[in-house]
Amino acid sequence: MMAMDWLAGAQQVVVGGVLIWASGFKLVHRNASAAARRSVLARLVGKDRVVGAYRAVGVVEAVVGLLLLAPPALAVEAYAAAALFAGMLGYLAYGKWKAPDSSCGCLGDKHTPVRGRGFARAGLLLVLSLAATTGSWLDRPFATVGVVVVEAAVIVALSPELDHRWLLPLRRWRIRRSHPLAQHTVEVPLESTVQQLWKSAAYRSVVEQLASDLLDHWDEGKWRLLTYSARTPDGPATAVFAVPRLAYEPDEVRVAMVAEKADMLV
Amino acid sequence: MSEILGRRRFLSSTVLGTTATVITATTIGSVAPEAVADPKLDVEAGAPDPNFVEGRITGIAGGLLIVTSSDRTINQIHLTKATSVWKLRPTTSDAAQVGDGLYARGVRMPDGTLAADAIWVNIVNLQVHITSIGRSVMHMDHHGDRIVGHVVGGTTAAVYNNTPAVSDLSLLQVGKHAQVIGAWRPDTNEVDIATVYAAA
Repeated sequence: MMAMDWLAGAQQVVVGGVLIWASGFKLVHRNASAAARRSVLARLVGKDRVVGAYRAVGVVEAVVGLLLLAPPALAVEAYAAAALFAGMLGYLAYGKWKAPDSSCGCLGDKHTPVRGRGFARAGLLLVLSLAATTGSWLDRPFATVGVVVVEAAVIVALSPELDHRWLLPLRRWRIRRSHPLAQHTVEVPLESTVQQLWKSAAYRSVVEQLASDLLDHWDEGKWRLLTYSARTPDGPATAVFAVPRLAYEPDEVRVAMVAEKADMLV
Repeated sequence: MSEILGRRRFLSSTVLGTTATVITATTIGSVAPEAVADPKLDVEAGAPDPNFVEGRITGIAGGLLIVTSSDRTINQIHLTKATSVWKLRPTTSDAAQVGDGLYARGVRMPDGTLAADAIWVNIVNLQVHITSIGRSVMHMDHHGDRIVGHVVGGTTAAVYNNTPAVSDLSLLQVGKHAQVIGAWRPDTNEVDIATVYAAA
């Protein structure tokens, strides 16, 4: 038994497994028809026929996948799989070109537009299919396990559909241990002061005359001052608000209207 | 700069010298409807709002911004001292640069220019999922597109569950939905984050 043979056998397991998984999703998942309508395939064959076409692809994938896994190992099975993945690459290229916002619809119901990872996965599977033309995994079932695990891990890593299963939990775990944004200094953000201003009677009493958004702001002891330009019956003015900076006391907010003419004197 | 500080000192004294917490109609004269210009009144249903402009800045000449809208109309926008300018934070009119996107609200002048009351430069409002968090960045998924959000110390604020904004961002979680108000960095997929709204 040559090393190449059992390596090839391992590829049969990986490629066959991916095809069964893809077809399983397309044929039995309850969200499959919704995923079909969001996929590039809908663009390719039209909205009316897409669910049928999607299921047909699933059937082809299931047949090729089962043939690959089941003995005897024939080279033609691997070539059929290679042809499928070559078609897949063409499908992805079409999607990238014509329907960049559509989903791949490949392995799951997560919305995943065609990106580099999708091409890398299809390309890898094409190469693995071509490597699967000789030997059978049944000859050396245990030796293939290591290779299969590594390759399957690579394919999972290249599948954006599965990020929520491993990548996001991993990142969640990491930021639970130490949150990268936790060390920023604690201060009262301007947004908080503006929110307090909106709740105040002072603001409500003049809001209909305010013309601009927040014009300027600065801190003065326990106050934060906010200015807006205003249109009053007496002409243009500046509305000046003093908002408690370190406390939430909207009733304490003060307001003054400074006429533009008074401004000129300064 | 000293001019700004002097003006701020003057305005501080006007508001801190009073104890007024409301201004009633009598203290500022009559509030008859015709006395206060209301630019919203002359908008017909379905027609474009003449007092609003969106687009990219394609030229700047003095206090005048030349803005090309997405329907390719060209607008001229006047900025004055009374115009509020937002670009990640309230700032001054010299922050607006060619290539920036903007929204402007104001009053349409007889010569066709817009006298702006307020402009918001590069402002974006995004519904996203947080996909990862780093030392000063947040990666986000926006309907399948990747967005890089930069956290700006002293500016970026978080609003959790509609409570008052805080500067503490440590309750943001990977995988959760968030709404981000920020300033787009023109022609990139990057934004500087002003406020992020999230559940905690």
